Amino acid sequence: MDNKIPAVQMRDITKRFGSVLANDKVWLNIYRGEILALLGENGSGKTTLMNMLSGIYFPDEGTIAIDGKEVVIRSPKDAFDLGIGMIHQHFKLVDVLTAAENIVLGLPGKLDLKAAAEKIRGICSAYGFEVDPDQKIYDMSVSQKQTVEIVKVLYRGADILILDEPTAVLTPQETEKLFAVLRNMRNDGKAVVIITHKMHEVEELSDRVAVLRHGQFIGDMPTAKTSAQEMTNMMVGHPVVLNIKRPEPVNPRPRIEVEGLTVRSIDGYLKLEDVSFTAYSGEILGIAGISGSGQKELLESIAGLQPVEAGSICYIEDDGRREQLLGKDPLSIAQMGVSLSFVPEDRLGMGLVGNMDLADNMMLRSFRSGKSMFTDRKTPHTLAETVVHDLEVSTPSVSTPVRRLSGGNVQKVLVGREISSAPTVLLTAYAVRGLDINSSYTIYDLINRQKEQGVAVIYVGEDLDVLLELADRILVLCGGKVSGIVPGRGAKKRDVGLMMTKLGGKSDE
Amino acid sequence: MNKAQRSPLFHISKRGSLPWYAVWGIRGGSLLVALVFCGVITSLVTGENPLQVYAAIFEGSFGTTRKFWVLLQNISMLLCVSLAVTPAFRMRCWNLGGEGQALAGALAAAACMICLRNSLPNWAVILLMIVTSILAGAIWAGIPAFFKAKWNTNETLFTLMMNYVATQLVAYYCVVWESPKGSGQIGIINPNTHIGWFPQIGPYKYLLNILIVAAVCIAMYVYLSYSKHGYEIAVVGESERTARYVGIKVNRVIIRTMLLSGALCGLAGLLLVGSTNHTLTPNIVEGRGFTAVMVSWLAKFNPIWMILTSFLLVFLGRGAGEIATNFSLNQSFGDILTGIILFFIIGSEFFINYEIHFRGSGKKEG
Amino acid sequence: MKKIIALLMVLVMVFALAACGQKAEAPAEEAEPTFEFDNDSTPFDVSTLTQDEVAKIKVGFIFLHDENSTYDLNFINAAREACEGLGLVEGQDFFLKTGIPEGQECYDAAAELVDAGCNIIFADSFGHESFMIQAAKEFPNVEFCHATGTQAHSAGLPNFHNAFATIFEGRYLGGVAAGMKLNEMIENGEITAEQAKLGYIGAYPYAEVKSGYTSFFLGARSVCPSATMEVTFTNSWYDPTLEKEGAIKLINNGCVVLSEHADSMGAPTECESRGVPFVFYNGSAEADCPNTFIVSSRINWVPFMQVMIGNVAKAQKLHADWTGTMSTDSVLLSDLNEKVAAPGTAEKLAEVSAKLISGEIKVFDTSTFTVGGKPLTSYEADVNDLGTFTPDTESIVDGAFAESTFRSAPSFDVDIDGITIIDQ
Repeated sequence: MDNKIPAVQMRDITKRFGSVLANDKVWLNIYRGEILALLGENGSGKTTLMNMLSGIYFPDEGTIAIDGKEVVIRSPKDAFDLGIGMIHQHFKLVDVLTAAENIVLGLPGKLDLKAAAEKIRGICSAYGFEVDPDQKIYDMSVSQKQTVEIVKVLYRGADILILDEPTAVLTPQETEKLFAVLRNMRNDGKAVVIITHKMHEVEELSDRVAVLRHGQFIGDMPTAKTSAQEMTNMMVGHPVVLNIKRPEPVNPRPRIEVEGLTVRSIDGYLKLEDVSFTAYSGEILGIAGISGSGQKELLESIAGLQPVEAGSICYIEDDGRREQLLGKDPLSIAQMGVSLSFVPEDRLGMGLVGNMDLADNMMLRSFRSGKSMFTDRKTPHTLAETVVHDLEVSTPSVSTPVRRLSGGNVQKVLVGREISSAPTVLLTAYAVRGLDINSSYTIYDLINRQKEQGVAVIYVGEDLDVLLELADRILVLCGGKVSGIVPGRGAKKRDVGLMMTKLGGKSDE
Repeated sequence: MNKAQRSPLFHISKRGSLPWYAVWGIRGGSLLVALVFCGVITSLVTGENPLQVYAAIFEGSFGTTRKFWVLLQNISMLLCVSLAVTPAFRMRCWNLGGEGQALAGALAAAACMICLRNSLPNWAVILLMIVTSILAGAIWAGIPAFFKAKWNTNETLFTLMMNYVATQLVAYYCVVWESPKGSGQIGIINPNTHIGWFPQIGPYKYLLNILIVAAVCIAMYVYLSYSKHGYEIAVVGESERTARYVGIKVNRVIIRTMLLSGALCGLAGLLLVGSTNHTLTPNIVEGRGFTAVMVSWLAKFNPIWMILTSFLLVFLGRGAGEIATNFSLNQSFGDILTGIILFFIIGSEFFINYEIHFRGSGKKEG
Repeated sequence: MKKIIALLMVLVMVFALAACGQKAEAPAEEAEPTFEFDNDSTPFDVSTLTQDEVAKIKVGFIFLHDENSTYDLNFINAAREACEGLGLVEGQDFFLKTGIPEGQECYDAAAELVDAGCNIIFADSFGHESFMIQAAKEFPNVEFCHATGTQAHSAGLPNFHNAFATIFEGRYLGGVAAGMKLNEMIENGEITAEQAKLGYIGAYPYAEVKSGYTSFFLGARSVCPSATMEVTFTNSWYDPTLEKEGAIKLINNGCVVLSEHADSMGAPTECESRGVPFVFYNGSAEADCPNTFIVSSRINWVPFMQVMIGNVAKAQKLHADWTGTMSTDSVLLSDLNEKVAAPGTAEKLAEVSAKLISGEIKVFDTSTFTVGGKPLTSYEADVNDLGTFTPDTESIVDGAFAESTFRSAPSFDVDIDGITIIDQ
């Protein structure tokens, strides 16, 4: 491999965003016929580096060579001309057009959809994609959209492909399919880069790993010669322990009883249909499902943020009294004395205010306290300092706007605030999405501590491996219905994956 | 790719945060460049010495004691409307109806002065003027706010339309209350009896307005920064979803804030009619409802900084007017100069948020 | 809650101040007082001014529009002529402020001019008056001269003055020319005597305009006894579109000769395109409308400005009102467009002019018109303009309406027989 000319040579690449050094003299080689996993914690500069390769940013310093020839990439068009294609986390497709129309959109020359469809089918059969060129984007699943993005890049003749966290939105089965396709591409002699931080995917798929940390290139090695532990240590910079505790629930009692919950979206689609379950104190109830299966609506219904069509949500007090939560807004739920905390999926768009500092964000829950027309700034300030100290939030000060913090620290602030009110119910949605390993384990730990204190935790997750290790019971949602509730201990990933795509899962086989 | 392939002449990237002195350095620098540019243009057009042009700009605001008072008065009126629209802006609710809301207030004040002058004592007229004009401004803002809260209409367009309604309404009443008959103008209301005229503090014609607006400015700063309402406004502005998440009743906050916004605009109209102009014309607000958008925005919605930005805009406007008079140019020339200066000032925000890398500079370091 | 407190704070503050101010305030009720009239027509000979006297002068002018308005253009030209005739330099000794609306801006402009050192300030538009009075109260050492205004004699301010000219005489002459044209059309068989209908586009239905069109009509009827007239109003001093529409309306109603009292070229251009003869105001339109323009009358403001400036320079007292006449050259006729005017018009105009100057002809001679079928023997006009519309001064003197006698601005507002106001 060493004697090959790299498809891409990046040398001394430096990129600054204001005072932030996103990439610091990074060297990176990408070879044809190889899948490279670009590893690194959040904010380590992986995406920035790849964005420079695909023409979105222009490096402040350094050179890029393609097949040994120095080039300048000023725009995504330059990148395409050099055969570089990137598939971003957020798809850039026009919903009302078909797959074929999206793929040829913006290309010069005469529009010949028939020929294009033919060419698309050719690409699909060569690599094993399943795309109907005439299907509209809005009819497609997330995985299908991703496939269209990949085909689009290949259609334009890319032989260097970059995928930014491609599996974040996929089910295990879809991930398998994607990996198969990527392997086909590698065998075809294309260079493939995937940005990820899921260890098991790296081990399963890649030939080589390159690790970035704090914008610096730490090292690369063949995947076969390394281990998850070693890679994690390289990413984090110090050794970390990679297992999640799961204490036995102590004295579980029914806390939230959901009966026949049915929710429709504003445009009339059924988002939840006849969902019933009970969440117990001192227990973590995991919710699994393909994204968009009704997880968000479920949590928001309990939190009083979602209009509900039918059903009931009862809160059961320690003494057995039942309070109906349905039809109440968050304020009246709190006024009833129900201490319900909610860590929403959209941290900066819902849970926190990005432009406000830590102290002001702490105030979100408490600003109404007191009779004065002015806000009490002291208590939230103290709370912010406590959270920063206890949860080891890395921030310049409590008066830094939270949007300046990294994802992990943002989540610590949010979780810290939500558990500070000593809740009896804790709802979390994708609590570790986008978080690096260290932060993820801190969050798991926090959640476990809540569980030990007798809180009923409802944990919506996307990483099945984690759910299987963390949750006491797993409720699987499929298209807004309960596909089944399985005990966390002993459940098989494959079975849960099947339940996510088919009601009842296993029984259909 | 051929050998002509080089790195681009310049590329643009977003800056992180600049220290405050650099930010104000850039702003001050752009103002200087704008002044130089205006000087050159005026010199080219009139053949005057550019230094004289700058002296004229300065004289426009500080030439005489009276001009200085007028400067303060204009700042206070512009600041009043700017303060009024600011709470709505903080809520990301683009109230472009300051003009109409102030006009509604002015109309209400003038109505009290004209219709009640023969039936009520002076103090009662003044009291009613205060109540009705503040109410009128609030209603004028409340209508679009209600529609936005209820049916999610676009407040930008709605408030804008309300401006035209207010202007036409005032134009109509100018004819109804015209004096003398046939002039289509109201002229000065109660020029002899002074009914409904706000008292003057000593010999200072404009002092009352200035004091009231100063008080409003401080109150607004405290309200936005330290009150629970101010906090709610900030949260709703940043994210309505967050606001709902913590149980803030978003629609109530929208309507309440817009009412406040309109009420303060009504106060501006009241001060214009009752305290300084003592008349009503369709352009009595002089576009301040729109200039206020700029004042508020340039000051990043901070009431204290708004004193500075409104000073800047008034200073420039008066300087430009002075140039037009001194050098026998059409009044429109002053507006052109103001436009040029604003272009530079607003343009400077680009250089605060982005930096430009030139081809040469990057290579040297590399 | 906060809002209410803020509101209360303001309330309390103003209340306190209002209470202080209240005691000093005079009671509101007052009977309509009587005023002394002080209307003068003496011209001023500028050649008597010494260099020193001229050097003391600084003049400011406030105009409603700019040169695009025929009315303002006439005024701007006069300002330049009067000042440059004294050797004053624009931008140093005299200043022009154009485009000043009839609102607080007028007061601001006047104050600016005072700041610039002006000791005499002119304003040209009717709606400027109350703001000029406000400025006059504040700056007692500066003379404020307002053209077309009505309140100088009643304002009680020694430094505020009105001026006008006997433009009704000019319009009467214009009417004579129009009447001659009607006669020519009747003679040529183009129209019958009954069809001799004039049309008039007026700005606002008040005395200045009514006086104008009535004198125009009386002039026409003095030569063409069968003439009638229709009048339409635009309710704007300057609106090309409305004026044009007014012209079309009148022409469609059968008016064969038009005139107007509004300041744009909207109506003349329409008349030209339809071939309808017209009598203009403010200045000649011969260049733009060679085939229909007959004659135009205009006020020459130069004598007025010379009187005001000259007396200030000599530190002499100014009268409250000054009315320019034909003998002071304040009312001028443009060159007659021989191509359109009826034969003999020039001679007739010269004859009538002489009789107007000598007083042999009085425009508003009560024997020449009736009101409601009866002659007008007594009429109280609203000369003391106090904002309300109250007749206060007997204006029928020696068998004629005494126009521009008590004050400079016209006060004739009678609807006489023979004139129909449409679209009222």
